[in-house]
Amino acid sequence: MSRIMVVAEKEVRQLIKSRNVMLSALLFVGVFGIFTVPAVLSGMGDTGAMMDTLGFYLVLTLGVFMGYLFTAQVFLREKQSGVIETLLCTPLSLRELWFGKVLGVTIPGAILAYFSAILIMVTGSAFTGQTLVPSLPVLFHIIVVIPAFIAATSGLIGFTQFILGMRENQILNFVIIFGIIFLTTFIRELTGPEFSVTWTVVAAAFGLALLLILVTAWLTRFLSRERIITTLSE
Amino acid sequence: MLDEVSFSVDTGEIFGYLGPNGAGKTTTLRVLLGLLSPTSGTAIVLDADLSKDDSMRRRVGVLMENNGLYDRLTARENLEYYARLYEVNRPGNRVTELLDFVGLTERAGDMVGNFSTGMKRKLGIARAILHEPEILFLDEPTSGLDPEAQHMVRELILRLSRVESMTVFLNSHNLDEVQRICSRVAILHQGRIRALDSIQHLTSAGKKTGFSITLADTTQASEAEDLLSSFGGIGEITRNGNVLGMMLVTIHAHEVVTTLVKNGIWVEEARIQKRSLEEIYLDVMRQAEGDVA
Repeated sequence: MSRIMVVAEKEVRQLIKSRNVMLSALLFVGVFGIFTVPAVLSGMGDTGAMMDTLGFYLVLTLGVFMGYLFTAQVFLREKQSGVIETLLCTPLSLRELWFGKVLGVTIPGAILAYFSAILIMVTGSAFTGQTLVPSLPVLFHIIVVIPAFIAATSGLIGFTQFILGMRENQILNFVIIFGIIFLTTFIRELTGPEFSVTWTVVAAAFGLALLLILVTAWLTRFLSRERIITTLSE
Repeated sequence: MLDEVSFSVDTGEIFGYLGPNGAGKTTTLRVLLGLLSPTSGTAIVLDADLSKDDSMRRRVGVLMENNGLYDRLTARENLEYYARLYEVNRPGNRVTELLDFVGLTERAGDMVGNFSTGMKRKLGIARAILHEPEILFLDEPTSGLDPEAQHMVRELILRLSRVESMTVFLNSHNLDEVQRICSRVAILHQGRIRALDSIQHLTSAGKKTGFSITLADTTQASEAEDLLSSFGGIGEITRNGNVLGMMLVTIHAHEVVTTLVKNGIWVEEARIQKRSLEEIYLDVMRQAEGDVA
């Protein structure tokens, strides 16, 4: 097993054992997955199209938020505790460490995003009295594009958490939360009444996610042990 | 900040690195481990610059202040994680062996977050030697340990050095511990090395040498004291029963003994009193403070 997978497996195991974090994540997914759907679907004519729209932006937002939640546990916590210093003395390269952690965040993040999609579908079906199934482009979006977005955003957040000091990271947390709120609003504006999720839209979203991943992977070239060590909490 | 720090450590040696808080001990450790780059000069460990060669880290073991352990993983999971990162052969067996070695077999399945400081330290040591490194960097390895565990760690370090020829770089505040196990030390003050020598040489060197003579006949003590007082090169003579203590300034111990014997005074025992590392350390610190002022 490659060292990336070793790191990823450890991160997933540690996240599963973090009861508070997992409970918060499940609560967040549950609240949004169940309570948002009736509000959005009420008064809508084409419930199928609306389910697609929800699957497109709500699951994406929830997935990205899960990624953010887990990133703090996976990247920042190691810096706060100082364990990162020992890890930097192992044969792990910085890229292996970073990729392993991104994978360790993406896997549980994606699983929770899938779970939220199922919740939305079940709640929507119960609310409308008909079986609502997402269209094929939305299904692809949920299964492939959303994990790519989780990887891209958690990779970017993790990168900045690695290179910034603890105080800057606190400021960054606020910026990210407002960023996610802005992202949600922006996508909702974009997905007006006329909006429908087509293969073109999904392909564009996928392209954006891949671009973000590439940019973040490129940024890791600027990661250095010295930078991480000099920004550790005293 | 380090300034003109230069030293070498031989294979199999236990090297003590001493200094007060903020002297630069951790910075030196980080430079050696390739975590920080020196503004000038180089730090070579096992013929390599660790900042440029990740694979060389496989040959180095490190125990930092925080033990490098995850509170939410069990003792076994922690060791297995590192064993896989270091690609240890038959990791399961090695982990079992080390858990047994540090006396944590019964707690192997417990979360490390529930461990005492001492237990975490023991597990940290097991983690540091898991991959059988050639050189071991230890930062205050016995801090937080009870006397029995401290003894165990000291014995372990000595065994690793003597039996496995492992080189040990020991950052420590515990001067007694350093004196017991290290062969050479460097004493750091405000980023500069103020003393660098073998423990043996440091403790026996100095302008003044402590010397004590035990007389066979207590009634000769007064006569011996008068005789030595008239001698040049001896200072601060003290008497306690049949034992005379003195500082030899410009005279050698054998000259003192010969004079006493020639004058019919029976000497039962003569002993050069070595200075403790603590005395040397405090002297170096005082001198360094004087230099800085």
